[in-house]
Amino acid sequence: MEKPGGGGVLSAKEAFEKLEKVGEGTYGKVYRAREKATGKIVALKKTRLHEDEEGVPPTTLREVSILRMLSRDPHVVRLMDVKQGQNKEGKTVLYLVFEYMDTDLKKFIRSFRQTGQTVPPQTIKSLMYQLCKGVAFCHGHGILHRDLKPHNLLMDPKTMMLKIADLGLARAFTVPIKKYTHEILTLWYRAPEVLLGATHYSMAVDIWSVGCIFAELVTKQALFPGDSELQQLLHIFRLLGTPNEDVWPGVSKLMNWHEYPQWNPQSLSTAVPSLDELGLDLLSQMLKYEPSKRISAKKAMEHAYFDDLDKRHL
Amino acid sequence: MEFDLENPFENLHSDAVSYLFLIESDHTPSQNHSQTLKARDLDISVRRELISLISQLSCALDPVLSYLAINYLDRFLANQGILQPKPWVLRLIAVSCISLAVKMMRTEYPFTDVQALLNQSDGGIIFETQTIQRMEALILGALQWRMRSITPFSFVAFFIALMGLKDLPMGQVLKNRASEIIFKSQREIRLWGFKPSIIAASALLCASHELFPFQYPSFLKAISDSSYVNKESVEQCYKVIQDIAIEEEYSSALNGVSSSDTPINVLDHHFLSSESQKTNGITVANTIAVSSPLRDLKRRKITGCGCGGNNPTIHNSRIQFSHAKESEK
Repeated sequence: MEKPGGGGVLSAKEAFEKLEKVGEGTYGKVYRAREKATGKIVALKKTRLHEDEEGVPPTTLREVSILRMLSRDPHVVRLMDVKQGQNKEGKTVLYLVFEYMDTDLKKFIRSFRQTGQTVPPQTIKSLMYQLCKGVAFCHGHGILHRDLKPHNLLMDPKTMMLKIADLGLARAFTVPIKKYTHEILTLWYRAPEVLLGATHYSMAVDIWSVGCIFAELVTKQALFPGDSELQQLLHIFRLLGTPNEDVWPGVSKLMNWHEYPQWNPQSLSTAVPSLDELGLDLLSQMLKYEPSKRISAKKAMEHAYFDDLDKRHL
Repeated sequence: MEFDLENPFENLHSDAVSYLFLIESDHTPSQNHSQTLKARDLDISVRRELISLISQLSCALDPVLSYLAINYLDRFLANQGILQPKPWVLRLIAVSCISLAVKMMRTEYPFTDVQALLNQSDGGIIFETQTIQRMEALILGALQWRMRSITPFSFVAFFIALMGLKDLPMGQVLKNRASEIIFKSQREIRLWGFKPSIIAASALLCASHELFPFQYPSFLKAISDSSYVNKESVEQCYKVIQDIAIEEEYSSALNGVSSSDTPINVLDHHFLSSESQKTNGITVANTIAVSSPLRDLKRRKITGCGCGGNNPTIHNSRIQFSHAKESEK
């Protein structure tokens, strides 16, 4: 069969040289690779498509298209190209070509933990501002991330620039649930309404994650390190108090609600002792139980905690 | 999230509209390609044929869907051209553009039904699923997976708010008429190089001049003052769109008789169905009602039309625009 417009479009395998596998992301393998034509280093995310007679699934098409639209914001990892190919078994494979970033926030925090140093307060402030700005951009375009965690926040250690990765991939690719360690880790940043089985997410779920990341930047330890959904909830309740209908109207009607041990709320300063007053106030507004009461990313950027930050290059 | 022509991001906040202006060029056939295409008569006729094919094949579906499919087609042509305009290739391209548009826009309509519909033909070509999928992959690559097209519809609400008509009945009337004009103008090759926002602004100005001539000068000023809009582009685009609107008015007055160069009313399903049956013997399924704000477009009633080459309306329209421009100096 003759191919219309059959100019030479390189397949992913021909266009890129895989240098090393740098991770097994939630949605597929991730490689550091070099684009042969330009010599540019990129991150290749390889994902099997769940095909049937429809070809490319509509959800994949819709969500990848969002990523292509978001790729001009400086705080979202840029999706530079998409290549469709076939693997050895003849199955369709999608290669998402992202800009490469040297490290992520998880490694960054770990490096400070290993040396025993604290992250400088102005560095924390700068990273948090960039995170709020990136999240505000996504939310301003009606897009939730739903899986914000230090591993998904890529960084350039030289410039201290931070970018959000894996945006929208939660819905673009339907992946069977895996019982791996990293799957458990994602519980640490999950909002209580999600853990309690709320079916209608709002942008507030991302703000909760931002709050958890904020605390972790200060203490270098996860704020709520649960190893099961129940343990995750109990961690939260021990610090913030067991929620009730007074502090969170509607909570007892959520699907996974049970009777829980009754704890009184503790001061956030007990969990994040070295954070100043303004930081504690911002953190408390990010960790409100009632989703609608949680501060928005845009409002967070205007919080007094960031007043003394030089924002000109952010 | 499902795709909506009016809001490519679905939940776009008002302060994020600036981003649409920033990236709309990624979703528009480039100026260079536009010039190239205009110089190639073969490609212009091929485009016209492809648009007719898409309209025929998708007339049983939502007209917004055929608009999106034609958008994909135009961007594909701008990127790839067509090296071998064979009938089966053209049909495959048309089918694949519609298939991609269906995937972006609709979940309630079973995909296999759409496939069956697309493959209806009177002894014509029926494509294997894999063939369509390979063409889809080619189109996706050419469009760089930017399938949430930014079209003139993405900007209409913004400009209406700029004109101070948000949430007013007058704004809704203008929006309806402007949307009708945008639909019809999609076929016009002369608009190829204009950005979607410029087309939206020009369509709204054309609609306001037609429906609310006394308010037209203030609407023109509101749009011209916007930092997002290039005045010269709007003026050029306005002239083309005005011609299209006048041609439509003229042809409608002649009992709907349509020459091959006159834009066919995409919304006139009955006309398309009749035309399809006569010329191709294709039996078109009944239109399925789908709720969509764009489906509520209404034809403007034509109360009268001047005869002869020197249409007074044309003359007055041009003077009006020039006058408005002079008053700005």
